[in-house]
Formats: sequence, C-alpha cells, structure tokens
Amino acid sequence: MGKEESYELGPRGPAPPKAPKGRGRRKKEQLEDMKKEMDVDDHKLELPDLEAKYSTSITKGLVGAVAAERLLRDGPNELRPPRGTPECVKFGRQLAGGLQCLMWVAAAICLIAYGVQEGQGDRGSADNLYLAIALIAVVVVTGCFGYYQEFKSTNIIASFKNLVPQQATVIREGDKLQINANELVVGDLVEIKGGDRVPADIRIISAQGCKVDNSSLTGESEPQTRSPECTHDSPLETRNIAFFSTMCLEGTATGLVINTGDRTIIGRIASLASGVENEKTPIAIEIEHFVDIIAGLAIFFGATFFVVAMVIGYPFLRAMVFFMAIVVAYVPEGLLATVTVCLSLTAKRLARKNCVVKNLEAVETLGSTSVICSDKTGTLTQNRMTVAHLWFDNQIHTADTTEDQSGQSFDQSSETWTLLSRVVTLCNRAQFKSGQENVPVAKREVIGDASETALLKFAEVTVGTVSEARGRFPKVAELPFNSTNKFQVGSRGTKEGGGQPGVPVRAWVEVTRRGPLQLSVHTAGDRQLLVLKGAPERVLERCSTVMIKGQELPLDAQWREAFEGAYADLGGRGERVLGFCARWLPAGTVAAGTDPEALPEVAVGLCFAGLVAMIDPPRATVPRAVLKCRTAGIRVGHGDSGDGKGMEGMGREMRTGEDTEGTWGDTEGLGRDMEGMWGGHGRDMGMGTSEEKKGGGTQGTWGTWGQGCEGTAGPRQRPPCPPQVIMVTGDHPITAKAIAAAVGIISEGSETPEDVAARLRVPLEQVDPRWDPTSPGLGGDRGAPRPGDPVSGVPRQARARVVTGAELAGMEPGVLEGILRAHPEMVFARTSPQQKLVIVESCQRLGAIVAVTGDGVNDSPALKRADIGVAMGIAGSDAAKNAADMILLDDNFASIVTGVEQGRLIFDNLKKSIAYTLTKNIPELTPYLIYITASVPLPLGCITILFIELCTDIFPSVSLAYERAESDIMHLKPRNPRRDRLVNEPLAAYSYFQIGAIQSFAGFTDYFVAMAQEGWWPLLCLGLRPRWEDTHEQELQDSYGQQWTFEQRRYQQYTCYTVFFISIEMCQIADVLIRKTRRLSLLQQGLFRNHILVIAIVFQVSIGCFLCYCPGMPNIFNFMPIRFQWWFVPMPFGLLILIYDEIRKLGVRRHPGSWWDRELYY
Amino acid sequence: MATLNEKKTCSERMENFRRFVWNPETKLFMGRTLINWVWISLYYLAFYVVMTGLFALSIYSLMRTVNPYEPDYQDQLKSPGVTLRPDVYGDRGLQIYYNTSENKTWERLVTTLQTFLTAYTPAAQHLNVNCTGDKYFIQDTFDGPNNTKLSCKFTSDMLQNCSGIADPTFGFPEGKPCFIIKMNRIIKFYPGNGTAPRVDCTYVGDESRPLEVDYYPVNGTFNLHYFPYYGKKAQPTYSNPLVAVKFLNITRNVELKIVCKIIGAGITFDNVHDPYEGKVEFKLKIEN
Repeated sequence: MGKEESYELGPRGPAPPKAPKGRGRRKKEQLEDMKKEMDVDDHKLELPDLEAKYSTSITKGLVGAVAAERLLRDGPNELRPPRGTPECVKFGRQLAGGLQCLMWVAAAICLIAYGVQEGQGDRGSADNLYLAIALIAVVVVTGCFGYYQEFKSTNIIASFKNLVPQQATVIREGDKLQINANELVVGDLVEIKGGDRVPADIRIISAQGCKVDNSSLTGESEPQTRSPECTHDSPLETRNIAFFSTMCLEGTATGLVINTGDRTIIGRIASLASGVENEKTPIAIEIEHFVDIIAGLAIFFGATFFVVAMVIGYPFLRAMVFFMAIVVAYVPEGLLATVTVCLSLTAKRLARKNCVVKNLEAVETLGSTSVICSDKTGTLTQNRMTVAHLWFDNQIHTADTTEDQSGQSFDQSSETWTLLSRVVTLCNRAQFKSGQENVPVAKREVIGDASETALLKFAEVTVGTVSEARGRFPKVAELPFNSTNKFQVGSRGTKEGGGQPGVPVRAWVEVTRRGPLQLSVHTAGDRQLLVLKGAPERVLERCSTVMIKGQELPLDAQWREAFEGAYADLGGRGERVLGFCARWLPAGTVAAGTDPEALPEVAVGLCFAGLVAMIDPPRATVPRAVLKCRTAGIRVGHGDSGDGKGMEGMGREMRTGEDTEGTWGDTEGLGRDMEGMWGGHGRDMGMGTSEEKKGGGTQGTWGTWGQGCEGTAGPRQRPPCPPQVIMVTGDHPITAKAIAAAVGIISEGSETPEDVAARLRVPLEQVDPRWDPTSPGLGGDRGAPRPGDPVSGVPRQARARVVTGAELAGMEPGVLEGILRAHPEMVFARTSPQQKLVIVESCQRLGAIVAVTGDGVNDSPALKRADIGVAMGIAGSDAAKNAADMILLDDNFASIVTGVEQGRLIFDNLKKSIAYTLTKNIPELTPYLIYITASVPLPLGCITILFIELCTDIFPSVSLAYERAESDIMHLKPRNPRRDRLVNEPLAAYSYFQIGAIQSFAGFTDYFVAMAQEGWWPLLCLGLRPRWEDTHEQELQDSYGQQWTFEQRRYQQYTCYTVFFISIEMCQIADVLIRKTRRLSLLQQGLFRNHILVIAIVFQVSIGCFLCYCPGMPNIFNFMPIRFQWWFVPMPFGLLILIYDEIRKLGVRRHPGSWWDRELYY
Repeated sequence: MATLNEKKTCSERMENFRRFVWNPETKLFMGRTLINWVWISLYYLAFYVVMTGLFALSIYSLMRTVNPYEPDYQDQLKSPGVTLRPDVYGDRGLQIYYNTSENKTWERLVTTLQTFLTAYTPAAQHLNVNCTGDKYFIQDTFDGPNNTKLSCKFTSDMLQNCSGIADPTFGFPEGKPCFIIKMNRIIKFYPGNGTAPRVDCTYVGDESRPLEVDYYPVNGTFNLHYFPYYGKKAQPTYSNPLVAVKFLNITRNVELKIVCKIIGAGITFDNVHDPYEGKVEFKLKIEN
C-alpha cells in the first residue's frame, strides 16, 4: 500500500499551507496544538499505573495538602475567559476606519478654518463650524451603529459557563466531602450520580448503570453508558472517560480526575472556539476594499487640487478648505449607513423565514458561500428514527418516512404482514404518554428508546391503535432487562431438560452494538403467541420456518440467501435493521412467574416474519434544497452512472449500517491513498451559461468549482474546488453515506472509490490515480496536480468520497485539500470537533467561502471559524448559538437555501445601491473643481452635499434593497470573491465618468440657467469668484448693470446650491430607475413593481421640496426657495440617463462577451 | 477566505502594482491591452464630445432666451443696497478713522472721494440729459441714440458743499467731513412710491441723540427722475444719483457709530441678514 512512505513524505512536501497572516506566532502555535487530537491515554492505563501517574489512591483519594498544592499549581477547575479587547478600544476602532479618518481630517480642517476666520473677523465662517459638527456627528453616529452591532455578538465563554458544575463529591484521605467543583485537582477521586454534572474529565474506576448525556459535547443525544473498561483507542469514544460538564443521567460512578479547567475537553473546545478569530466576512472585505479605493481617490483628488489651488495662488488656508470640501464631496458619507440598513432589511426578511441573523454582514456571506459543511442529525434529517423499509414475502416494501407520516403505500393485504405487524405491535415496550389522543401520531411523545418509538408509531399509523391490540393480546410475562443478565448466545447449549414451558419470556439481549433481542409472550385467545425481535442474524438463528404469503415454509438455503440479500440491501442503505419472528404456543406454555433466565429455551424453531429497517430519514425539504444548492452552485452534471452494483457490493461487504466500524477501519489504509484523485468530472465542466457573466474568457473552462479557486498569480488554471454541500457528521460512514445519497449530497450515479472498485472488480488502489503528495504545490497556489493526468489505467470515476475521522486523523492538511479538490461530493463521518475545524480550514484554504451548520458545543470552533456559522435553534446548544452568525429557528437545512438566495440578492442589490450612491459624488465634486479652476461662484456647498448624502438619497438607495432579482440567481455560480467584487472597475467607471458626468452637466446647466436668469450670464461668471466673494464689495455689477450687495450675492449663491441640489436629485431619480437593473431592460423589470422604490422617490422629492420651500431654510441650511421651472431644467438630462442606460443594457444583452459588455456591464 | 485575507508584504504589493502597470505575460498595461486603451479612450472622447456639445447647446439656447435688457428674475434684489464713500473697511464693517492733524490719514479718504466724483464731472455726464421733473422718468420707447434710452444727468456740483469744487478737502481737516451715500441700481425699481427717497443719518442705537447733518442735495433726496433704471444695455451712460452728508458736530477722539438709512417706500433697512440693504453703517473717529 505504501501508505507509510507516502505519509512520511507528506510533511516534507514543499507545500505546507501558507502560514496565514503575520500575527502572534505563539498564539497560532497554541491553536495549532489544540487542533490536534487529544493526546490523553489515561483510558488505556491500568488502575495501578493510573494511581502511580497521578500519585493518588483509588480508594482514599488525595491527601488534602497535595490537593492544595496542585490547586496552586494548576489553578482552579474552571474555564478562564480569554482576555478581551477593552470596550473603549472597540469603540475607538469603529471611529478610526478609512473613511472615518478622512472625515476627521476634514472636520479638523473645518475647525481650523473656522478658528482662523473667526480670528480674522470674517463673516460666514460659522458654516465651517456647522460643517465640522456635522462631520463629527456623522462619524460618531456611524461608529455607535457599528459598535452596537459588534456589541451584540456576545462572549462565547459565557455560554460555556452555564455548563460548568457547581459542587462535587470528592474523596480525600478516605473521607467523602462536598467541595466547590472549582477546587478539584488532578488525581482527585470523585463520585458522580444521576443528575450531577461531571465536575472534571474523569477516568471511571467503577460504575453502576452509569449513563451520561454527551449531547452538550458531541451533539449526539443518545445516552451513553460509562463503565471502567477501555473500549476504544480514542479518548472520545471510550467508555471509561466521562467529560467535564456532561450530564450524568442515571446510575453512579467513581472516577479519577485526569484533567481540570481549560485542559479538559470542553475547556479545549471553549478556548479553541474563543481562540479562533472571527474571519472577516466577504462583504466586510468588499466594503473595506472599496473604502480603501474611495479614500485613496479622495486624498488623490484633494491633494491634486490643493496643489492646483496653491499654484493658482490661493492662500494656504483656502487651499486647505478646498481640500476639505473635496473630501466631503467625494466621500460617500451615507454609504455605510445604507449598506447597514440594506443588510438589516434582508436580515429581517430572513428572520421571517426562520433564519435569525446575528451578525448583519453574514446576510451576504451566505450568498457568496461556495461550500456548506452540514451536520447530518437534525439538520438534514428529521432527528427521529422512522421505519423506512420492510422486508416480507421476499420483497422490500417502502414505508412512508415523510414528516407527517400520513399514509403507508405498501401492500398490506398479505397474511405475512398481519403477522409481522402483530409482532411489531406486541414486541415493543414503548408506549405513548397519556392524554395525546388528539395529537397526530408523528408528534406524540413516547416513553421508550428511539427504535421502539419508531416501531410504535409505525404500528399506530399502519394497523391502528396499539394499546387496543395490546389489550387483545395481554402480555403473559416479560423479562426485565438489565445490563448484567445479557442473553448469552451460548445459553442455548445449556438447555435444561428442554426448558420449562411457562417461563415468562422477556429478554433484552445486547449481543452487538446493533441492539437488543427482545422476547415476550402474549395470550391470544386459546393460544399463546411468542414474539421476538432483534438483530436479524440473531433472530434468524432461532427460526426454522419463514412466512411467505401467509404460508409457513421451511427456512432452507434459498430463503436464507434471500434474507441475506435483503438484509445487506437494507443495511447498505444505512438503516438500522431488526428481524421479527413469532411462534404460536399452546395455551399455558408459559405461565407467569417463570424464571426469566430459562425463557430463551422456548424461543426456538420460530417462524420468521420479516425485517423492518429504520433510519433517521432526511427532511422532506432537504433534497430539493440540496439540488437548489447544486444548481446554484455548481455542477449539475453527472458522473459516469454506476449500475448499482457498487452499492450492493458494499452492502454485502458491510453487512449492516451499525456494524461497519471494523470494516471501515480496515479500509482506512486504502482510503489514504485515494486522495488526489481527479475524479471524472472534467467532462461536466464548462456548464457556465452565458448568463454567468464576468467570467470573461475563463469561465467556460472550469465552469463550476474552478471559478471559486482560480489562482492569484499567473494564468494557470487551478483544479476544481471542493463540493458544495459537504456532510460532516459524527455518525457512522454507511448511514452518513446513505443519508447523503438520499438528500442528494451524493448525487444519483455518483460513486465512491470503493463503489468503483467493487463495480470494476479491481482492488481499491487501482481505482486510485495516485498522485505523489510530494509533488510541488499541493495546497499551494500553483502547480497543483494537473487534472487529466492519468497515472493508473482506470478512469477516474469516483465523484463521491466518504472519509472517516480516523482517516482524517492521519492526514496532513494538504492531503485533505487534495481530496476536497478531487471529489465534488464529500461526506465526512465520525469526525471530532478538531477535525471539523480542520475540514473548514481546508475548504477555506482552497478559496471557498464556507458555511457550517452545527448544534453541539463540539461544533462551536468550526462554527466560529466558518465564514458563516449556522446554529440550530431548536437542537442547538448555547455555545453553538453564540459562536454562530446565524440561527435556524426551525433547524431546517432548506432555510439555508433561502438564506443563500437572499444573500445573493442582497449582493446584487448592494451593488446597485452602491452604484447609485457613488454616482452622485461626481456632480458633488465637479462644482469644486470648476470653482477652483474657473473661479465661478460656488455652485454647491458642503452642507448641501451632506444633505444629499445623508438625507435625500438614503431612501432610494435603501429601496434598491427591495429590488427583486433580475434572473434566477439560484442558477448562477457563487460569486468568485477574487473577481466578482462588489465594486468593480466598470461599475466605478460607468458611475463616475458617464452617469456622474451627465449629472454634472445637468447641474451646471441648471446652475447657469439660474445665474443667467437672475442677471449673471455664464461668461461673466467665469473668473468672477474673487469679486463675488469679496465681503467688502457691496455694489458688484451683474450682466444688466444692477448692483448687488455681498449678502444678496450670498443668497444668489444659495439659490445656486439649491438648484444644483435639485438637479442632482432629479438626475438621481433617473439614476435609481436605471439601477433597478444591470442588464435587463427597465421595462422588463417593471418600472413601478418595486413599490418601496416608488415611495422612496416620492419621499425624496418631498424632502427636496421641504428643504427648498420651508421658511427659514436659507439661513439655517442654505436652501433657497427656487423658481419652479428650475426643477425642469435637469429633466432632459435625466431622460438622457434613462435612454443611455437602456442602450447600454441593450448592447450588454445583445452582445454578451463583447467589448461593450466587458467595459459597460458592472 | 484565508487566502483572501493574507496581509501582503510591501515588496509583494509593489510587485503586484508593477505587474498591474505592465504585465509582460499578458501584455496588459494597467489591466488593459494597449489597443483596448485606445478604444476606451476613443469611447470616452466621443462621449465627452457629445456631452459637451449638448451642454453648449443648452447654454446657447439659454442665452437665446434670456432678455438682453432686463433679467428674468430679481429674486435677491427686493431692496437696493446702499454704499458709502469713502469706503474703508476695518475688522467689522466700514471704519473711517482719521487724524485732523495728520494729513496723510485723511488725504487718502479725500482722494477716494475725488476719484469717485470724476464720474460725475460735466464732461463725464455730457451724454446724459438734464432732467427737471420730480417724477419717475418712465421711457417706454428707445429715444436715445443707438436704440438706447435716455439717462438723467447727475453732476458733482449738485452736491454743493460736498462737491469738492469749493472745498477740495471735503471738510475733513475741519472735522466736518463729507460722505457720499449711493444707492445700488436695480432695473425697473421705483423707490419711494412717488415721493423721493431721502437719506437719514443717525447714531446707531441712540436715535434721539441729535446728529447735526447737512444733506446735499437739499433734504438728502434722490430725485425721482433718476428712476427707474432700464439696465446697462438700455442706459449705457446711466449714473447713480448721490446724496452727500456733512457731519457738523462730530465729537473728537471718540468712536461713533453712525447709520445712514434711505427712507422711502419699497426700501427696507431692517433686514438683519444684510447690513447694507437700505442703509449703511459705519464707525467714525476723528482725532486731533
């Protein structure tokens, strides 16, 4: 197999994952350390060794002094919260962003200018003061908003605190005493009993029926037995360790403390979770990206015109004021607020659909998600066992597994079914809680374990009231089960005189992990009916006949083979299979009070009725949701369709879903050599439709995953990225695979390497196109293994891949990435919290944006690490909810798809919003440029600009968030975070230099009209500025010879401001209309279908009117009541914008990929 | 996202930038091929030519529509501004300080007045007609030469003692200085509603305190026949009528605040936002 060799080479390979970021290496190492599996081996030690290791006594416990010493050494047994950033620093950070800094500078310049002008006794300098105050207010308010957002994400450690026990029973120096749990030290002997929380990580020394609930740690809700025996190599799997913070449900146990505080498993997870930095959300990166550009441009423009102004001969202070004005004009002050409001609107919309978004930016993240790592239990499945299949009359029947279990469709006329249903009904200890007659069966609460519940409900639905049936066949006797009287298979041999008829039969047998064998005897009229259920092969051993179509036939080899086939088939579907059989006994065969131990002697020569297979079925909505994800993402194509033999073969090999661990263990080694398999998906690339634009020339090549992970440098193509929905579960591989296949994570016809091997009847390693893990660039940026580079003769056909935690444990991160690249359909089974984190990171390293769903505490590190963590609202633990960015109130995977849809929509709409917002910066900026260079009276003031930015234009830009999608966004690929930027070059160029230019022309036209009609002709205006602004000039002549005082000119200037303002508003109405669509015609989209937008336009105009015509405005905000007709001057330009953009869109639609499209489609 | 977040070193950034400016592999200059740059430049050139054309067209049609004789609107010119000569500005507004014993301090002021009055010499006014009626000089037709309207003569001698003819020092050395009050012209503005507007000077804030003033012409009125004004094009030689005020009892060495208002219907002097509308305020301090 060569696995040793290849793996030893692994670390030396030239492509260790790029050391991410250059911050605190020590912390980084610590984290890396934590990501490794637990190195605890205490569970394997014998008790004396353990005593020696911790120098304690397993009878008397620690000596008080030693305990005190250790307490001093190790610190208290509690979770330490990490040192957080002080609140004021957090707030300060909000005030020190790129744009904010610019605004601070602008405000400072304003204040300086105010101070200097005040000192000189200039009139009108109060404007600068107002402006400074307004700017500071904008920064502070935006900062408070951001701080509040951040403040809402609560401290993750707090949620772990709730889990920690308060008191512990400890034995020290032979005395039993109650102490605070935080005083426990390593080596302490503690006692736990039902109802306690486990006070530390404990190696069990002795236990009596102890069961713990590990759900807070692993998310698995079934109680787990704890006993002193070491049952597994992994400390997480073995039974003789109980974990800090888990709940002891029943029984008692004594154990030795092996880890305390932060060194416990939960402590590690907690510090892992809080140590994982929150990744910046994609939208935050986008916004940062373009804020940088804006800030850079603002400074560039400001500095340029500062120099120009100095050269022209303005005094220094004036030039500084120009700089400030240009910054104010150019910086989109309202943009951050707009983005926040747009996101929170979507968040609200999502909340109505059961997705609560904690972190606003997460709204968009979901839209750019390219990989969803989904938990299985509860998210993809209904989280309850349900009967899925039955086998009787040598036929597999399918049962209804939908959520409501309305009806069963299989043939129920056979007599075999009558028997089988009777056995199912009677051989069942579960019962409904009383008082639920009106509740639908599926929703009734049941006392009993998962499979019994499933069978009970199944019986209730199919044959009618169970309690009635049980009444008709009263139970003669039963054998109470406990773990000590296991039904030993060998007991058959110790038959004592043919057994004693009349012994009450009721035995649980725990032969295998598959579950118990259960026997009971019921009175049925003048006969007795013995019913038995259990693991199929154990049941079959006791049968001599089989019921087929109501006839009892001898159980010969043919029937055995049929049984084997059916059993393997069902087992291969990942279902939990139980066998059922019965035997009619003469009345009085079994009498009450018989020794239960003797009872199995009666249970021989039974008649086999059938098999019932149960599974935690997928939620009905999930397959469609997964399919939607697929179309929304990524490849829809099919691999080479298998003939189904693979599955069959696997089922045969694996026997049952429950019993496969060993088998999988055997294949582990093989699995390791499988990575790097460039599955046969090359042929279904290039699905990129022409709808999916901006891919430019490259899009067709790696139509699907490829686009998410194109290399940064060089034109070389990278191989396809990982699959879209990855299942990561703690469950068994077969079950995981079955569910994955059922919901479409493994699509129809996809095969795992094992399937391929089985189908082609070749050894597994031949399926595997080996690539050398040492080949350059694994996990690196370039030179990744070339797809279509066959090494073995067998074509690469395995699209799917199931990887177990055990396999993962031995892998280098780069290897995992290879696997993720090679197989578009991935299932990870039996994974630990650390491994989940590793999987997420590997996907991220491949350039994917990863969403993770989870519910347990164990998921919290991965949730936090993910670009977007999605916690389950019902099943989720507090820690998971705290670590997540989003909570699904209904635990339904389908809600995520809604989220994806909304996220994509909001990305598109934000793009539109930003395009709209940016456009007006040019007509705000040009007045200053013309003012400085052509010395016209100032056409637009800073305060007016702030009104446009922060008041009138906010509403239309927010209303664009309500715009519906232009096309079916779920049929597009997820955006490529490298290329599909929120603000790209065509967007900026088109907004700034085309639409913005038209708006500027509109503004200046209106400006010159207003000036000319009041007496100042355009040519006079040029160069007028020095005299116009001379406060001592009280008789400036206009073009008609009239003489104006300074104040009269000032009001005329305000009129210009207002006219320019109105022009921008009018053009912005046209702008918001064109921004409704990026490629569709406005008429196709519907001009008035977005009612909010229409309202926003009306509102915007109303505010404009109010500002213009409210009395007192001229002296407060420098708005003048302007002449009515000046509103109409910019309208032709608005019309021009509409027509020009329609032409642009027409060209974009007609000629996709053309020069026009590349330059003008944003 | 890890790959996207990586902080780049400075040299990497420089390298990336260099690659952006000129990428030898793809022959991209600043993200575009050269030919592409030519195309995009041509496109923008065409775009801006068209836009400038449209703009020029709008301005041209604007100028075709505006009335060459009078403005369409006079929204800001409800009431005329008032100016003072000599006009020396201090920290806050007009501030006329001088010392009677130092010639230099008042000679500047006198020169200002003399220069100002050169526009009112008979020679400068020879194109204007003599008007006698004390009524508005309304002209509906263009009676003047070159299709203009007639303007009334205002010569400096009408200012009598303050004309600078008899006393070229305008009374400054004696501490009885002359100031000239001028009202801004506004097209088709009819001040006074039939009665001639007059200038009235008082101390600021203390109107009861007597300020001895001589007004020239008599009563300090602006004769109605100088109104209305028909605009630069119709009345190219129009000159504003003036009123001279001569302060007779100025307390020496004290800063006095004086306001000269123009009293007449249609002329407001109570606009808090415009200190020069209908009135002119100044500080006067005569030292010796």
